[in-house]
Amino acid sequence: MADPQEPIIRFDHASFGFPGLIALDDISLTIHDGEFVGVIGPNGSGKTTLCRAVLGLLAPIEGHLHIFDCACDELRCHHRAMIGYLPQKGVVDRNFPVTVLETVLMGRYGALGLFKRPGRKDHDIALEALDQVGMAAHKDGALGQLSGGQQQRVFIARALAQQPKVLILDEPTTGLDITTQHNVIELVQHLHAELKITILLITHDINMIRSKVDRFVLLKTRLFAAGPPSEVLKPDILQQVYGKDLVITEKDLVIVEDYHHHH
Amino acid sequence: MLDLLAYDFMQRSLLAAAMVGGLCSIIGVFVVLRGLAFVGAGSSHAAFAGVALGYLLGWPPLLLAIVFGLATVWITGWMEEQGRMKLDVSIGILYTATMALGILFIGLMKSYNAEVYGYLFGSVLSVTPDELHTIGALSILVLGLIVVFSKELYFIAFDQEMAEASGVPARQVYFLLLTLVALTVVVSLKTVGAILVFAMILIPASTAYQLTHSLRTLTLYSAMIGISTSVAGVLISALWDIPSGPAIVLLSTGIFFISIFVSPKRVKTASTAHVH
Repeated sequence: MADPQEPIIRFDHASFGFPGLIALDDISLTIHDGEFVGVIGPNGSGKTTLCRAVLGLLAPIEGHLHIFDCACDELRCHHRAMIGYLPQKGVVDRNFPVTVLETVLMGRYGALGLFKRPGRKDHDIALEALDQVGMAAHKDGALGQLSGGQQQRVFIARALAQQPKVLILDEPTTGLDITTQHNVIELVQHLHAELKITILLITHDINMIRSKVDRFVLLKTRLFAAGPPSEVLKPDILQQVYGKDLVITEKDLVIVEDYHHHH
Repeated sequence: MLDLLAYDFMQRSLLAAAMVGGLCSIIGVFVVLRGLAFVGAGSSHAAFAGVALGYLLGWPPLLLAIVFGLATVWITGWMEEQGRMKLDVSIGILYTATMALGILFIGLMKSYNAEVYGYLFGSVLSVTPDELHTIGALSILVLGLIVVFSKELYFIAFDQEMAEASGVPARQVYFLLLTLVALTVVVSLKTVGAILVFAMILIPASTAYQLTHSLRTLTLYSAMIGISTSVAGVLISALWDIPSGPAIVLLSTGIFFISIFVSPKRVKTASTAHVH
């Protein structure tokens, strides 16, 4: 295990978007190995852009982004295969005719490279990943026949099959019922603790993860705050980003009023 | 019927039908899953324009068909990537424009050319040994590329962005798929014709889609349906003296509708609905 203080993702005055439409502006942020980071901010604040950038799906228009402190600025440097990703629900066709095991095996394809077929070892890794998310019994089932929470577990298993050092989850609880939401968050917390994976979790539900994360990253095009929950979840800081939509109850619950479900 | 099989032309057409049926149904899996149905239709009309230009200029028609087909799918893919235009709009424009070109080229020919119409409507019973060799060579090329890149093709059909994020060269694989669709269309032109090839690509995979939840099984079923309906269609066409293209397409359409009614997906959905 590497030194927990080792920086593995480093934004260096990085901006993303198109000229005239900046999604993220002048971000400087370092994420260390083994951290559990919650990425929060209003809709359209650049949370998903931040993830896509780390995944190498888009290049900075200014500044630099270093992954695993690799010196190169190449978008699809081989290091990126070590980043697992759970896309926002609704991005994937969940009725696609594919079995659970076939889905998870796809997590191996990037690491395998072209011209190589998944072998015994890849099957074992995929089965282990399914076991870690508690879905091993469903391996031959159809993805489309599973419940929303079960599908989410399968997609997390696919990300784990990449044997990632970093796991990025984009709104993993959206569209799930409350019990399932908690189960998914507990699973993520378990993976973080057991497998020592660095977690980047995007969410609008601040209260659900406030007791789990090491740090919050608060975004609204610019980086407004990055620090432990006690430092970030302060009325004066949150107010800058959420404005009058923010309500903090007596029990210290943070409620953002204008959140609309777009999924 | 056994008498028929003794004829060279009959053996050639059955072989051609089996190859084209197999090829179309396998590429069809990726076309259906990646949502490229309309691209198949667009490239077949473009390829037909290439054939017409070939006859007009006295150049090899299949070569020009490949050029036209590839140009259409690449332009479509590029426009989609630029985000300037939705795929269905750009292909809709190219589809009709190339068809207009095809009609224009036919109009410019000084005499009526029955062979050109053979490419429009298909005439598998008149496949020559040379054409059979071309079909065979192109089929082997396309199938070989599908086998080599199958895991990447499945991945981008499922979720292209995820594939890219996992380190698969998704963009290049997508253009490979577009290229394979165009080549498949050209291979099939002579057999089923520019208008019906679309059905040969879509129907077997859509039928198989009703019958399984597994990617591998889906591909296997699709190929079996594609090959068997093509061969059966040619036999029906020869026995009853009806055009081969429609015989193949109508036969597979019939099986498609049967598959909808016997689909285990419908049964399963119904039973889980009872449980919950």
